[in-house]
Amino acid sequence: MKSGRGLGLLLPAALLLLVAFVLPVGMLVPTSFRPYVPLVGITSGFTAGYYTRLVTDSYYLEIIGRTLALGLTVTLATLLIGYPLAYFLARTRSQWRNWLTLLVVFPLYLNLVVRTFGWIALLAQNGLVNQALQTLGVVNEPVKLLFNFAGLMIALTHIFLPFMVLVLIGPIQNIPRDVEDAARVLGASWGSTFLRVTLPLSMPGILSGSILVFVLTISALVTPRLLGGPTYQVMSTLIFDEFLQRLNWPAGSAAALLLTLMVLTLVFLSGILARRTGARA
Amino acid sequence: MSPAVSGAAPALRVSGLRKAFGAVVAVADVSLDAAPGEFLSLLGPSGCGKSTVLRMVAGLVEPDAGQIVLAGEDITRVPVHRRNLGLVFQSYALFPHMTVHDNVAFGLRRRGVGEAEGRPRVERMLELVRLGPLGARYPRELSGGQQQRVALARALVTEPRVLLLDEPLSNLDALLRDEMRVELKRLQERLGTTMIFVTHDQAEALILSDRVVVMEAGRVEQIGRPEEVYRRPATPFVARFLGRANFFAGTIAPIDARGVVIMVEGGLSVVAAPRPGLHPGQRVQVAIRQENIRLEPAGAGGAGNRFAAKVVFHAFAGQSHHYVVQLANGRELEVAAPGGSLPLARGAAVVAAWGPDDVVTLAEDAPGAGGAR
Repeated sequence: MKSGRGLGLLLPAALLLLVAFVLPVGMLVPTSFRPYVPLVGITSGFTAGYYTRLVTDSYYLEIIGRTLALGLTVTLATLLIGYPLAYFLARTRSQWRNWLTLLVVFPLYLNLVVRTFGWIALLAQNGLVNQALQTLGVVNEPVKLLFNFAGLMIALTHIFLPFMVLVLIGPIQNIPRDVEDAARVLGASWGSTFLRVTLPLSMPGILSGSILVFVLTISALVTPRLLGGPTYQVMSTLIFDEFLQRLNWPAGSAAALLLTLMVLTLVFLSGILARRTGARA
Repeated sequence: MSPAVSGAAPALRVSGLRKAFGAVVAVADVSLDAAPGEFLSLLGPSGCGKSTVLRMVAGLVEPDAGQIVLAGEDITRVPVHRRNLGLVFQSYALFPHMTVHDNVAFGLRRRGVGEAEGRPRVERMLELVRLGPLGARYPRELSGGQQQRVALARALVTEPRVLLLDEPLSNLDALLRDEMRVELKRLQERLGTTMIFVTHDQAEALILSDRVVVMEAGRVEQIGRPEEVYRRPATPFVARFLGRANFFAGTIAPIDARGVVIMVEGGLSVVAAPRPGLHPGQRVQVAIRQENIRLEPAGAGGAGNRFAAKVVFHAFAGQSHHYVVQLANGRELEVAAPGGSLPLARGAAVVAAWGPDDVVTLAEDAPGAGGAR
């Protein structure tokens, strides 16, 4: 039976998902409703207070908003930088193509912590970027690029760019050159061809690349922690601190579940969007 | 709408076109004219440069040298989207994210034709290619033949000065291909559009074309009406590429009253019709098409081009019988006889005969001599 064999092939992955994702996340659910009393620990009562605090307290709302804004800008930035690069790599007939692709992927081979420290060296008050800007006379005072939104955005964009490019190359390669040529022969200029043919046909890649980068950005921990310092928080660093600094597991669980819910909602919505655009492509 | 082969200014004139990709010369030197309303085929094996010529005319490939003149206007340096040509691809190249209607309307929109004026034009064109009710469908919901008709409608709706077709029928199965050939020819006669048709299929080129341009290795081997290139090939390549023939290498013996006598390998002498440019002692190739050889009962009398032979192979192919016969000197000939004739048994003794007019004599040492004529 065909479908039976298909299910058999899914089994290992399904088991892994169950043990490594569904069960641990599921176990967070009861924890997130327990009251935490300082110096005593988790008690056996019931409270929804950690959830209401997350969505009403301006401190937490700011962190959630910042996380989403970071996800959005990093996604947009990787898309703007990554699309032309992916288009070039997908279409070039250069003999250097494989080397260039390797160059795009290369940062992934370096340890994340090492790369992040590299960015600290570049973005610090007296770092390379500020020295260059001052030497060129662009600015008089050093620009603050660490422990704020700009620094996080620059570093995360760099770190997640390879993912965007790699995801985009395939779908762009799948657009037949003939289809673009047909548009041009029919009277469409280069720009018009791009807007009306190439871009719509790239949508599947743009969608999956954006989801990937967005999800990776809002759940990134190491880079926000090192470049944001102890005070400039995003959701992942907040969860980390609740669990390991304040030992408030219920608050951490609630924040973790909210982040998970946000990611799942996004994946679900993109699935609907993909089906709607993909149905026509 | 019969094409004016002479007189009127050509709809398209290509002269001295050349294109190299790195060290590979795809098109060495191609010149040709297409008269208004003419159906002109570029015929040749894959890699002969015919598609590159078409893409240069379309503006998708930039020529290294040469000139492309469209109805008197030099368009060699005009960008693709301003040439007002139509191009139909082998892969159809429809826009998968648009409906059939929007595909056909695409060219009109780019020319600033609005919905109100465009819609009836699109519908009329879809009607013409017999796709009237399918405007709301997406390309993936159509069969291959229907997709190719959408591509035709899309290219024709803007009333292009010349329609270029790049192997448009090659992806269709045999039956559908025959049907589309007829449809294409009717469409062309009805609209009077000049069409340049690229194909590697010699039967397709012969059936559809007013004139055929035979190409090989980036050069034009011969340009002529289908009967001309088939009956009087200018070069050995053309003779080999169009139809099946038996080839002999030989030398011209002194020319006498009977015609040209050619001494060919194996000690045979073949009589050919006189043709200018042949002189005694010249090395030539002789081609005799398989359908021009008659198989007669052994012993029948007559003079010239009659050779005793034995049937060594027979196969029936519907429209014709295929034979291989062996001459007394061991040389084998391929022969095609009408399918209605009585089959000859294997081993039967026959006489293979052909007329002097059926002998194609080709000078061996002048590959480009046939040129454009």
